[in-house]
Amino acid sequence: MKAPGKSLLSIFAVLLVSFAFGCESQQTKDLTRFHSANIRSVLIIPPVNNSVEVTAPECFLSTIPVPVAEQGYYVFPVHMVKRLLEDNGMSDTAMVHNSDPHKLGELFGADAILYVTIERWEARYIGIQTSIVVYLRYELKECKTGQSVWKTRQKAVYSSGNANSGNPAADIVAQTIMASLMRANPNYVQVAKQANGLAFKYPGPGIPAGPYGEKTKQ
Amino acid sequence: MYIPEYFLPAVLLLSAVFGCSRYQWCGYDEKLYGYYKHCDIEKFRSSLESTIHAGEKDNRIPPGIYAEYGYILYESGRYDEAIEFFKKEQERWPESSVLMQKMIRNAQMLSSGRGAKGKDLL
Repeated sequence: MKAPGKSLLSIFAVLLVSFAFGCESQQTKDLTRFHSANIRSVLIIPPVNNSVEVTAPECFLSTIPVPVAEQGYYVFPVHMVKRLLEDNGMSDTAMVHNSDPHKLGELFGADAILYVTIERWEARYIGIQTSIVVYLRYELKECKTGQSVWKTRQKAVYSSGNANSGNPAADIVAQTIMASLMRANPNYVQVAKQANGLAFKYPGPGIPAGPYGEKTKQ
Repeated sequence: MYIPEYFLPAVLLLSAVFGCSRYQWCGYDEKLYGYYKHCDIEKFRSSLESTIHAGEKDNRIPPGIYAEYGYILYESGRYDEAIEFFKKEQERWPESSVLMQKMIRNAQMLSSGRGAKGKDLL
């Protein structure tokens, strides 16, 4: 019974290869303010959610500390920050995002605050294809002055692609299987990670290496 | 021992993804996501413990991990142990000083029965 397993595996491999990431990004290129802010630490606060997916903010929050810290900045513990804000009557994320960055930064002793807005977090079904779309806005504000020092937006799309094994009937079956698997359990985390990776890429739309940058890199 | 044919590519892919990491995260993001999904604080706590052990071994502990771990202890009333980890965070990452000092003070108050949980945390 090895042959069917193998052919299923090869269909899976073909599908994996044909999966397509689509991305687009927008950025402000002027980093003068960013450089003069001399940022060492970044406070990441829970995102504002403009999507209809209620689990999106927590899901997103788990994906964001790693890329920012890997860029060489001290990142405050995101879960602890979330809990502290909630305990201090700041569980309304929109309200926190609109509050004075200077005051908020002072509470935590942070140099900068990262504000993220989830614009889209959805799975779309077109025919037998499933697409996961994540669209995020990022903004970094310096706490001392409250000024915005970096801003970008990033969209990432993950689609169940077209299988092409030379057998049209098998392709349709394979496509349908993959599309329904994605529909049953859409993997937003991977797509959000993809968006973060692109947004923080430097050189690119991202931010330059922080104080723990190059020198400690292995 | 049977090694599946996709084993090598999988290992290569994983090392490509994680090999260039500055810190020893040990899947911190997945652990946090898992906690938000299943609300199992004990599992989250023990998984952070393994991140700490791995990070301390080769001096690649990620920022925030000592504090995150300390905060779980703090929330479960283990104040004295929490203080220990808040101090570790502060020592390893001086950028955390302001917050860690507040947390240490809160924990000391609660430990001695003078504070009220959830009040004046910041």
